[in-house]
Amino acid sequence: MEMIRTGNLKKSYMPGKVEVKALNGVDTSIEHGEFVAIMGPSGGGKSTFLNLVGMLDTPTSGEIYIDGSDVTKMNSNTRAEYRLKHIGFVFQFFNLFNELTAVENVMFPMMLNKQSGYKYRAKELLNLVGLGDRLHHLPSELSGGQQQRVTIARSLANDPKMLLADEPTGNLDTKSSIEIIELFRKLNQERGQTIVMVTHSPEIGGMADRIIHFRDGIIENL
Amino acid sequence: MPVDLRCALFYSRKDIFKNKKIFAFITLSIIFATANIIVINGLTDGMIKDLVDNTIESSSGHLNIYPADNERFIEGLGVKEQRLAALEEVEAYSPRLSASGVLSNKELSASVAILALDPDKERRTTKLLDKITKGMALNSNDNNAILVSYRLAEDLKLDVGDEAELAFENGKSKVYNVKGIIRTGAADFDSSTVIMPLNEANQQLAFDNSASVILIKLSDKELADAYMPVIMQVLGVSNVKTWKEETEYLLSFAEAWQSFSSIISAVGLVAAAISVGIIIYINVIHKTRQIGIMKAIGAKDDFIFTVFLMEAVLFGVIGVSIGDGVGYFAVKYLEAHPFPEPMLGSMAPRFYMYLLYDASLVTMLTVILAAVYPAFIAGRMNIIKAIWGD
Repeated sequence: MEMIRTGNLKKSYMPGKVEVKALNGVDTSIEHGEFVAIMGPSGGGKSTFLNLVGMLDTPTSGEIYIDGSDVTKMNSNTRAEYRLKHIGFVFQFFNLFNELTAVENVMFPMMLNKQSGYKYRAKELLNLVGLGDRLHHLPSELSGGQQQRVTIARSLANDPKMLLADEPTGNLDTKSSIEIIELFRKLNQERGQTIVMVTHSPEIGGMADRIIHFRDGIIENL
Repeated sequence: MPVDLRCALFYSRKDIFKNKKIFAFITLSIIFATANIIVINGLTDGMIKDLVDNTIESSSGHLNIYPADNERFIEGLGVKEQRLAALEEVEAYSPRLSASGVLSNKELSASVAILALDPDKERRTTKLLDKITKGMALNSNDNNAILVSYRLAEDLKLDVGDEAELAFENGKSKVYNVKGIIRTGAADFDSSTVIMPLNEANQQLAFDNSASVILIKLSDKELADAYMPVIMQVLGVSNVKTWKEETEYLLSFAEAWQSFSSIISAVGLVAAAISVGIIIYINVIHKTRQIGIMKAIGAKDDFIFTVFLMEAVLFGVIGVSIGDGVGYFAVKYLEAHPFPEPMLGSMAPRFYMYLLYDASLVTMLTVILAAVYPAFIAGRMNIIKAIWGD
């Protein structure tokens, strides 16, 4: 069953006077429970694709279906609500809220979603990512690998249908990178989480079920 | 509820306490703005109240009866006094006679306003005779004594116990003993007034128990407007003025002064508003990526707007609460340690509860308004630009 399907997906920007086609007709689908790596050279359209399927941006044209829903027709508020309930994000630069502790960072999306028992669940998630002993540390008191694990715990807060990760190991050393990917693998296998991960690293990409290559705004068939 | 206020409050609270120096800076500016409004308005209101009270206490009753048009004196004084004494709301009354004359001390002399009164009735009606700064007050039978206003005494080099010759407007003159020096705070009065007993003045001026005005003290000065028609009807008089009419010039001065103090308060408020607005704007700019992340994980525009507006509310609540306290204690301190003032002797602010309400409301609204624009900018931020700066 398809988790993500795109049809003739296009995205153009006008950073100056010349139009840049970031995506130029992408047709693809990703199944429920798949762990997919998106790879390709810089400027190939990987992050643009992730932003579009993550509903952070709107396409110039084309279709995006998430779990059967046409998300291109949703307004800004509906998209925000959908992201909150069904999509988890992990970014390259950890991007935690600096003024909140680890447990508060994980609680935050659940509070936003008006969930009850958020503190207990936040602790559970931090235990899951191996940070049960760092609950009340601020991001500045955690290592890069630990911060990224807090980000992953936060992305799981509302039990999303899919996790989107944009170069999640880009700022980590090899050991931490492998730990993060192993964590993704564990979530994928044990919780059936659909994971779409952009990476530059062939080693990291190789740990996914499938790799989709982007070049010049289209999917490259290797 | 469209926005989860609890969640917005949670983040706002964490955010404003993160940087203690910025928190202290913003809070201090709000504290000073609030306290400034309380002290300045307390001072203005206190000064106006002192001026009005002083005027009523020394030169006006709550109601004043004047002679009919084209008459110099009030006719039938005895009957009118009897009728006044029978009225329930009239606590006291004091007939006064005004005349002119020349007071001389050796080679020095000055034109004076003669104010003749019945000391016993005057004491029950006004506090004029309490304002003697040196010597003693008059008695009704002090036929050879006068009180002299302090500037007149200075001009004529008179002191208590000295003798001075008073020439009346009818040409008669008599030597009086200066029994006391009086200072009311009213410039006109203090510069050239001689006070003497009413009986003595009537006798010297050959008047038949006359008065130029009757001051009436009511049980409550706020009854003046309502009671004026009663007085007019019962006494059969047509020319009656309330204390408000008598102090109209003071009230218009007060109005002008209040406008001036409003400008001073507004300057403080604008300074606080600019501080809050700029700090929240800078905070929004510094937090661009975090705002992007917040939106990426599902926060709606109005939630982000609420977070930053809530920060202003928190700054406002904390700053205004402390500012109210600072303002209250500053006013209380100045009440106990008034400024010296040449006319009234001293000038001090007065504390009224409405000063707290007004200052709190105006400062809160200003601080919240100052945060609207940066909060709006935060709410409208584009996610992609906010996270990646593209």
